[in-house]
Amino acid sequence: MKSSRFYLAVLVVLYLFLLGPFLLIFVASFGSEPIMTFPPKGFSLRWFVKVFTVRMFLDSFLTSLWIGLASTLSALVIGVPAAYALVRYSFPGRSILEVLFASPAVIPGLVLGFSLLRFFVLIGNFPIQLGLYVGHTVILLPYTVRVVSAALRNLDPSIEEAAVSLGAHRVRSFFLVVLPNIRAGVMAAFILAFITSFNNVPISLFLTGPGIATLPIQMLIYMEYYFDPTIAALSSILIVITVLIVQGAERGLGISQYV
Amino acid sequence: MLSHTPRWLLVLILPALLSIGAFFLLPLGFILLESVYLGDKGVTLHQYFSYLSDPKFHTIFFRTLKFGLLVTGLSAILCYPASYAISRTDQHRKSLLMSIVILPLMTSPVARTYAWMVILGRFGLINQTLKGLGLIREPLRLLYTEGAVIVGLLQLFLPLMVLNLVSAMENISPELEEAAQSLGANPWVTFFRVVVPLSADGLVMGSVLVFTGSITAYVTPAILGGTKILTLATLLQQEAVVFMNWGGATVIAVVMTVLTIMLYLGIRTFRPRMV
Repeated sequence: MKSSRFYLAVLVVLYLFLLGPFLLIFVASFGSEPIMTFPPKGFSLRWFVKVFTVRMFLDSFLTSLWIGLASTLSALVIGVPAAYALVRYSFPGRSILEVLFASPAVIPGLVLGFSLLRFFVLIGNFPIQLGLYVGHTVILLPYTVRVVSAALRNLDPSIEEAAVSLGAHRVRSFFLVVLPNIRAGVMAAFILAFITSFNNVPISLFLTGPGIATLPIQMLIYMEYYFDPTIAALSSILIVITVLIVQGAERGLGISQYV
Repeated sequence: MLSHTPRWLLVLILPALLSIGAFFLLPLGFILLESVYLGDKGVTLHQYFSYLSDPKFHTIFFRTLKFGLLVTGLSAILCYPASYAISRTDQHRKSLLMSIVILPLMTSPVARTYAWMVILGRFGLINQTLKGLGLIREPLRLLYTEGAVIVGLLQLFLPLMVLNLVSAMENISPELEEAAQSLGANPWVTFFRVVVPLSADGLVMGSVLVFTGSITAYVTPAILGGTKILTLATLLQQEAVVFMNWGGATVIAVVMTVLTIMLYLGIRTFRPRMV
């Protein structure tokens, strides 16, 4: 089978192209030279040590963590009921709402970040942290609505009907019957939304300022001034964490179907 | 469909509707207004005329479109055979391959892009290799070129193409290919006349996502193109943050938004069952 060998060869090239850079960055972060070179000269762990001793990396990591958790939870609290309404009920304007709730993922993030900056920070004297949290929540909403909707579509509505016909209130049946049955979907939405927030640059770019930066923004700032392999070491750490999360989430939840 | 009361429906939908209205529609409407409303001069398209006629803007606008087209075309060519191989493997391997393919989408964009600096940098893999082989004396300038941006965008957006193609190809029954082959078609004819037409929806959807992603991406052109190879996204950031040219920045923001909306509307019109 000559043809199947051709498809396989292209597959290998594709995966080398996708993964090769990650392997190289990993190797480069162990170099001992103060300027990033490849292949690296010498062996040292000093850049990894530096990642944990540079104050601004720790601060911005914590900012990213809090913004990520707060906006992911908010997007779930807002998005799960909306997804439920869109999937379970038919009402006028439903398809318009579907488009509307998906639209923050369609409009370029940079445009939304810029608009939020102009709108809140300069005109309304809005605190920058609040702007960051609000912006992240809005861009995560399409992810939570979409992933939870997919989970709800796979859940047979007759079990809710059974609960309601046996006397359970809608709210009660939602929390006791629906939610436990879509928890894998909610979990996938949580992971996907948190990663999206944690990695976000376009929104954060305009909504950070002196004293407050998310980790990706701090990395961009650092890169402008320093050329040592600290960013390589930090990137390696982030890549390893991402690989572990994605592998776990794929095995447990099949996350690639929701991306 | 279950039965409902208007009040219950409102309880479910109102939080999402209010957030989208206040923190998405309102800010976007505001910059749209800002782009046409000039205080004492009233409503005018003056900012559009002056900014869109700037030759510097033309260069950057067409460069951005060129990046979008090149990245879309290259990813289609590379992903078609690869996605076919993925879709024809067993479930266990497919799951592993798919979880690897989405890695570039899930990794920190700064980490992912920095990896290309390790390869393309002054002391990076390519320059050190060429020097080691004695082919060059002075390092080549590979960063801050159009090629660097295209390669970086390609790595970022190939996964979107693969995801869409694989999900389209999974629905093609292998029996159709067997039928074509037993009727005398060779594997290439089968691929181009059976597999490709039946996965066209995936190709169109993947292409729209890759194209819109490429023309609006920020981190990749910012790191690999710098201020030398500006795109619409990095130009927007520069006008807003460096030059404080709010008028110019709002015009670019509106142009980027209109471009993406047009693409999505186009898809809804021509392939309504996909969106």
